[in-house]
Amino acid sequence: MRHELRPEDIEVFSEAITHFFNTCTGETANVRSAYLIEHGPAVLWNDFNGLIEISGAYTGSVCFSAPRALLSHVLLKMGESVFTDDRHADIVGEIANTLSGRARRHFGEGLSIAPPRLLNYGEPSLPNISGNLPYAIPLGWHGYEASLVVQLAPGP
Amino acid sequence: MSLSNILSMMIVDDSMIIRNRIARLVAGPALPHINIAGLAANGEMAIELARDSRPDLITMDLTMPLLDGEACIERIIDFLPETKILVVSALADKATALRAIKKGASGFLHKPFTDDELLESLLELID
Repeated sequence: MRHELRPEDIEVFSEAITHFFNTCTGETANVRSAYLIEHGPAVLWNDFNGLIEISGAYTGSVCFSAPRALLSHVLLKMGESVFTDDRHADIVGEIANTLSGRARRHFGEGLSIAPPRLLNYGEPSLPNISGNLPYAIPLGWHGYEASLVVQLAPGP
Repeated sequence: MSLSNILSMMIVDDSMIIRNRIARLVAGPALPHINIAGLAANGEMAIELARDSRPDLITMDLTMPLLDGEACIERIIDFLPETKILVVSALADKATALRAIKKGASGFLHKPFTDDELLESLLELID
């Protein structure tokens, strides 16, 4: 398997995470070094998993996985007062969408982004869309742990 | 369009969190001259609602199911050419913003945004 993403490609997503938490919560996330996922699907299962499928000039996926408590706290910071499963599913997808969209500054409009969808725990693993190994970017915020998994390669 | 008139605004975004956030700001004291005409979760709902409510202002997401924001802008501008549309999208490349403007949008605000950034963009839209 190839793993062709360059460090600067990964850095775009790390910066997007930092920017999201600073802007939406006013507080900085501790974004740690990315690592390659050698085995398994392009998702690190958590309570909520928001997936963006990538097409166009690139192919792959971007998945933001987070525990309920982190998402509840983000919702609170964004002014929400309702903390149902629907709202948690909404915000995990919106975070995945926002991080993917910001990456188009670097990758350009050829990085086509589908609307977010929720991956349910135990759902059969993602198809190996891009043929490349996925990268995980772990982050900590308010004592909670979450991750962004990026699997991306030039399109067909 | 001026601050002395009461304006109606439609909010289009597939995220309820974002729709609520924009609606809360518009309902707050900073924008007393804007009323919410309706909320839509996708482009098709937005066109139907725009025909019924004929809003003065619209905030429009781009990545949405059923009908995306770019197509929605083109169709709404076709029957509401005076309506001002602010694109509120995560898509951060310049080409997308330029294309939205060419199709009839009046402004572009990138997600994620602060309340101040949204307020400033809305005030610029109606200025």
